[in-house]
Amino acid sequence: MKILIVDDEPLARERLASLLKEIDTRYYLIEAANGLEAIEQVNNEEPDIVLMDIRMPGMNGLEATQHLMGLDNPPAIIFSTAYDEYALQAFESQAVDYLLKPIRKERLEKALDNCSKLNKLQLEQLGLQNQEIPHRSHISAQIRGSILLIAVKEIVCFLADHKYTTVKYYQDNVVIETVIEDTLKSLEEEFSDTFLRIHRNALIRKNMIEALEKQADGRAVLKIKGLDYGLEVSRRHLSNVRKLLKSA
Amino acid sequence: MPTEQLKQDNNEQESLFLPNFCSFKVVFAVLIMGELLAFILTLAPLNVEQQRWNDLALISLFIQWNGLMCSSSLCFLRARTKKYSNKTVAFISYFSLLFMIILLSEFTFYVMIENKITDLISDVSHWEFLFHNVSIGAIISALALRYFYIQHQWRLKIQAENSAKLKLLQARIRPHFLFNSMNSIASLTRTKPEVAERITEDLAELFRMLIREDNELISWAREKELSQRYIDIEKQRLGERLSVQWQVDDIPDDAMVPALLIQPLLENAIFHGIEPEIKGGEIKVTGTLTHNQLIIVLQNTSSTNTAHRKGNKMALDNINKRLYAHFHGQALIACQEKDDVYCVTLSLPYQKKSAL
Repeated sequence: MKILIVDDEPLARERLASLLKEIDTRYYLIEAANGLEAIEQVNNEEPDIVLMDIRMPGMNGLEATQHLMGLDNPPAIIFSTAYDEYALQAFESQAVDYLLKPIRKERLEKALDNCSKLNKLQLEQLGLQNQEIPHRSHISAQIRGSILLIAVKEIVCFLADHKYTTVKYYQDNVVIETVIEDTLKSLEEEFSDTFLRIHRNALIRKNMIEALEKQADGRAVLKIKGLDYGLEVSRRHLSNVRKLLKSA
Repeated sequence: MPTEQLKQDNNEQESLFLPNFCSFKVVFAVLIMGELLAFILTLAPLNVEQQRWNDLALISLFIQWNGLMCSSSLCFLRARTKKYSNKTVAFISYFSLLFMIILLSEFTFYVMIENKITDLISDVSHWEFLFHNVSIGAIISALALRYFYIQHQWRLKIQAENSAKLKLLQARIRPHFLFNSMNSIASLTRTKPEVAERITEDLAELFRMLIREDNELISWAREKELSQRYIDIEKQRLGERLSVQWQVDDIPDDAMVPALLIQPLLENAIFHGIEPEIKGGEIKVTGTLTHNQLIIVLQNTSSTNTAHRKGNKMALDNINKRLYAHFHGQALIACQEKDDVYCVTLSLPYQKKSAL
């Protein structure tokens, strides 16, 4: 069995590793120091179980879990935390298994025995109740069984088609695009402080807006950094765009 | 959430100033008080007559009836006035008590007169009888309600004091730090027992200082040592990610400062500035002495996600209070955030131990 230990503190990882080795020497152990590394490891190694710390720099455990759940066959997750009021409340209300550090060997053994997979509903509720992350730091897409992470701060805009949501983002100074599963509506709610809805089908990063132009046919078009064509602003959202441009 | 709901219910019941008149204990107390009142009323008139004990029986009967009726009306009201404020409840209760007394007085008067049971009230007019009863009732009810209100205020004060004490303790000891340190020790016990031993000693020394009730002054040398022990513990956990730079040679070792003045600030800096960053960061402590005033500045790179700063504010408030207790207007604490650098400045007068 392959187990991934995720914790930002080397001592905490060390201890978990030695406890796991005592429980069963056949465990194959891999480690990660934060949420981003955890996802990379899951992509590369496909572990069966992930022991996930909550409070980590870069990307915390709850967000990493959220991205992992996007996989068709996600690993089972066991959370661990030293003390985190909000997370503990969330776990208890969702009856999700979690370990308190310092972790007892017997308790770890029990958690490994009956570790079950989280369902998406539970996870959503955990995210809602955890007040420490108001929104994700990354958006994820599943590509050929592995997770592609897109940092929110690299994103230019989200565009909706009939069925799909596309995200346009910078990668090595070039704007590329990927299809994601989130809906424009949920993204708008989650990132309301950094993104602005300009049309039924477009959500734009506020600081990417360059200028508002009036076309000859009366349509309002927004020039966006990194895009060589303008995006149409619907009449309903025009006043919000104007307000933003005025305040900037 | 069910637990929250429960807490709220408790609070509501706690905040009602009247005791529970549906409970046996309270009603029994009412009976005893009523009987004492009956004794007072019997003993009070100075013109002694033989009928005194007869009077006591009748007065007792009347007062006990009143007490029971009033208690039951308050019991009845209790469940129905839950959502009102204490003021409204007091108002409603007072008038329902007066109403009960009027009702009973009228009833008693007619029964007595009709059946000529006693001459105790035969020589008073109807209105006089009613007026006396209602006046006594009004005074006693007002006194009782006032008493309950004061008792309630006193209970609230005790509660507030207790929770303030707890908050103070939490401002000084972040549970996060305690449990993470325990975890480090558990890990080090296996691999480096001698380091585990040292960290346990550091932790013990720090907590001995933390749980002290009195807000005493210690020398800067000692304060610096305690802070360094704290940093030592955190270094085990965070390794390379944490670096602390001390530039405090200007501050004389014999300067007296409130115990653990710096440690909570270091803890905040680590929690908000170092831990949320993958690469960690640096904390810079600089100290200068100018015009007999110590200036200590603590700087750290602030994290990009400043989700909650509540704990931070609590620690600052706490330090501010302690500074004020010792130095009154002569000390101050200020903080500012500029270009991703969070900076706390402490300023306090230089006092040697001998001067105190």
